Amino acid sequence: MADKELFFDLPVRPEHVQDFARAVGEDNPVFFDAEAAEQQGFPNIVAPPTFSTTQIFAVPRDQREHRLGADLDYGRVLHGEQEFVYKRLPVAGETLKGRMRIAKDFTKEGKRGGSMRFVTYESVFTDEAGDEVLTAYYTLIETSKDVG
Amino acid sequence: MGGVEQITLDGVSPGMDLGEVVFGPMKREDFKAYADASGDDNPIHQDEEYARNTGAPTVFAMGMLPAGYLAHAVSDWFGGPQHLRRFKVRFTTRSWPGDEIVCTGKVDSIEGHLVRVRIEARRRGEGPEGLNLEREQIAMTGEADVEVPN
Repeated sequence: MADKELFFDLPVRPEHVQDFARAVGEDNPVFFDAEAAEQQGFPNIVAPPTFSTTQIFAVPRDQREHRLGADLDYGRVLHGEQEFVYKRLPVAGETLKGRMRIAKDFTKEGKRGGSMRFVTYESVFTDEAGDEVLTAYYTLIETSKDVG
Repeated sequence: MGGVEQITLDGVSPGMDLGEVVFGPMKREDFKAYADASGDDNPIHQDEEYARNTGAPTVFAMGMLPAGYLAHAVSDWFGGPQHLRRFKVRFTTRSWPGDEIVCTGKVDSIEGHLVRVRIEARRRGEGPEGLNLEREQIAMTGEADVEVPN
């Protein structure tokens, strides 16, 4: 596996946090109201648990492919798994530093012929102090050409 | 909903059902709102013609939309998103316009302050014409670890 890495910034803007929270049907005021967030001990509104998937703005697919080189055929690719490991949730107003690499890349033979390739992109997000905030694992599955 | 009551350790035990939270029915506008907010602008989720050309009967939801609902449900069960330490899902089937997303969770184990929960989101609806889907199917399964105070 290539030990290539890709570095990017993920600004956590308040309007973006609110739009994202609305899009996933959130109604907890910690995502919308700075005062309510402060009462829960946060410096500002909090980003929802799956918010870091918006890194797609910061690292579009072409750039990811170009830099990390999984060479996937996106006509045969599905989003297979997603995992987040949290130290804390991002807070509006900060800019996270992201470091992305391919953590796993393996192929499984299917029972009925054909194969599936699993590629896991790991993104480690740290804050301005250099402390880890969360790690996201984005797993794509590429099916072989002879399977529907 | 508004169920953001704080749960404490003496309020959870292995095998405990956390209930059911239902989102939707999802509309195409919800896919667009999620696309705009997340940056996932893959036309397969918004453009009928594009989706059909790939062989799908119509547009379908980006997996992270129902996954976002499920994370929302877990957050509410445990008194807020700040208690989440891990959230993992495996996608098993697509969900479609008109589908409701039914989120359920069950406490699996407890170690110290860390509660492991088995989670699941099911799609519920007629599905696109011609696909003859079962009315209810598992859209994703997974697990969450939540730190619960005394």
